[in-house]
Amino acid sequence: MGSFFDFFSFKNPGIVAVVVGSILLTSSSALVGTFTFLRKKALVGDAVAHAVLPGICLAFLLSGTKNPFFLIIGAFVTGWLSLYFIDKVTLASKIKEDTAIALTLSVFFGVGILMLTHIQHQGNASQAGLDSFLFGKAAAMVGSDLITFSIVAVILMATVGLFFKELKLIAFDMNYAKSLGLPVKTIDLLLTTLTVMAVVTGIQAVGVILMSAMLITPAAAARFWTHHVKTMCVIAALLGAFSGITGAYVSYVAPAMPTGPWIVMIISAIALLSFFFAPGKGILSKAISQRKLQHLIMDENLLKALFHLGEADHDPYKGRTGMEIIKRRHFPKKRLMASLTRLQREGFLTRQNGEWAFTEAGRIKGQRVVKLHRLWELYLSEYMKIAPDHVHEDAETIEHIITPEIEAKLEHILDYPEVDPHEEKIPY
Amino acid sequence: MRIDANNPAVEFHDLTVSYDKKPVLWNIDMTLPKGALIGIVGPNGAGKSTLIKAAMGLLPPGSGYVRLFDQNLSEVRHKVSYVPQRESVDWDFPTSVMDVVLMGRYARLGLLSRPRKADKEMAMNCLRQVGMEPFIGRQISQLSGGQQQRVFLARALAQEADLYFMDEPFAGVDAATEAAILSIMQEMTTKGKTVVVVHHDLQSAAEFFDWMVLLNMRLVASGPIDRVFTNSLLQNTYGGKLTVLAEVGELVRKRQIPSRENY
Repeated sequence: MGSFFDFFSFKNPGIVAVVVGSILLTSSSALVGTFTFLRKKALVGDAVAHAVLPGICLAFLLSGTKNPFFLIIGAFVTGWLSLYFIDKVTLASKIKEDTAIALTLSVFFGVGILMLTHIQHQGNASQAGLDSFLFGKAAAMVGSDLITFSIVAVILMATVGLFFKELKLIAFDMNYAKSLGLPVKTIDLLLTTLTVMAVVTGIQAVGVILMSAMLITPAAAARFWTHHVKTMCVIAALLGAFSGITGAYVSYVAPAMPTGPWIVMIISAIALLSFFFAPGKGILSKAISQRKLQHLIMDENLLKALFHLGEADHDPYKGRTGMEIIKRRHFPKKRLMASLTRLQREGFLTRQNGEWAFTEAGRIKGQRVVKLHRLWELYLSEYMKIAPDHVHEDAETIEHIITPEIEAKLEHILDYPEVDPHEEKIPY
Repeated sequence: MRIDANNPAVEFHDLTVSYDKKPVLWNIDMTLPKGALIGIVGPNGAGKSTLIKAAMGLLPPGSGYVRLFDQNLSEVRHKVSYVPQRESVDWDFPTSVMDVVLMGRYARLGLLSRPRKADKEMAMNCLRQVGMEPFIGRQISQLSGGQQQRVFLARALAQEADLYFMDEPFAGVDAATEAAILSIMQEMTTKGKTVVVVHHDLQSAAEFFDWMVLLNMRLVASGPIDRVFTNSLLQNTYGGKLTVLAEVGELVRKRQIPSRENY
């Protein structure tokens, strides 16, 4: 716990650098990644992330220092080259884009690892820590790095802000953007450049191998919580920043631990939580609405069965036992009891001496379901010429979803019919 | 049969368009009149969408050219609007109805500037025109097919253009939307705007359009509806697939021959 307070009181100026740096890196790459995600180019980000490794190694070999400025330039060059490579391979051969991406990724990364191994065996003392680019080491950031990274992060955020409406339009409808005469190619190039920049700066904290997760995962998680690109950008950036801080903290507490995997695990956990719990789109909320629908169908079927019993002995309000209902239509006993209690609680049924009876509201509701069932049967047989013995099954589902507007339309076009195709009376 | 329009809005001059070197449209040569509601009709794979994409500069011409209002596209782009096929975009995209219609103002706004109040009001007006005002803040994935098409139409209207190219605006829409779209188009043409529509349903085509283009990889006919909508011309369009034409096209693709010789 002590380390927690040490870290978050920011007494050590080194910690401030690490925290601010991590936040800037992760949130700016999450922001750019939102558009990579919307353009459905997630894999391209992954390829670029891996392809910057040979550039970093080359820059180190040529300059002999770990000055981030040189390393960024090197990374930029090979990152760009990989994109060019993917484009050319796709255009000039029969190889499809996914294969081209996989090819590029492995070739560039392979060369990168080769160079890295070579550097490590050179015995050059200044190479120590270069391998942290593989998995990231946020704690290795120092004040001077911070300046470089902040500049890049600010450039990224400002550019996305300035070209926000064009980036959005191109992600949504490329052909329309072209038809408006927007410089689509230039803006596309801009987005790719931003992606490369985001990757190049992010690797200090996350490392090349996992960098693509930092581009895509915040956007994927954010997508669950909103329907607006702008809000999505903000949420993605915040989630990115949060995982960035946490990663920096881990890196501070356990210096031997690489930061990248931690950051990625945290952001993935957030994405997973969103996947389960986001309102409307999450698994949980979908399950809840499915369950509600199930209850609705069960309740309506039960009310219908009670109405049928009332039709048979011309006494709609008579009390019935559970057995009587099951004899009329089979329901699993447990679900029947649950449904009966639910309908009693809602005021559609009353219970006396173990017998269940309609209230006025319950009878009206049961009658409506029966009416809809028979109207739909009649509609199917009259307008779709389906044989009367084939219409029942369809009507069993449709009766639960017909809206009052469609109900009125059905009544109107069938002209308030007396009976359904089975000569059963339609109740109004 | 080809009837020339006097005072044309669009001129196709000997236009050939290819996909991967394979010509899908051969030597289209025609003019379309200003202020008319024009239908481009033909069977599947006739190259109807290709024709308007080429007119909008979305596909490069293999040979020939298109002139709009007797000028090049780049000079009159602000006067021309394009409505893509509804299925060409991802309707799950996180944006609202208003945002999509505002996109129609982007060309006027230019880079780096945001929609102003006037643009929003203009977008509102266009939404009202297509009867989508109540859906203004709605997320686009919640719209029905007909509503999506109306939103696309509103976006095009927001461009305030003089010439509209629409790709299958009547495909998969409900009857009410079809009537609404048609009446808006008719209103547009009475104001002197030219509307060119790719259409797949022959039956309604006869009722909708003033001028008709019959297309099947080549131009079969272009002219006023009463002159063009004849049995023999329709037979020519739908019945007569020119198999030799298709075979030669395939051959050109296999050998990767450019459609005009370059030295």
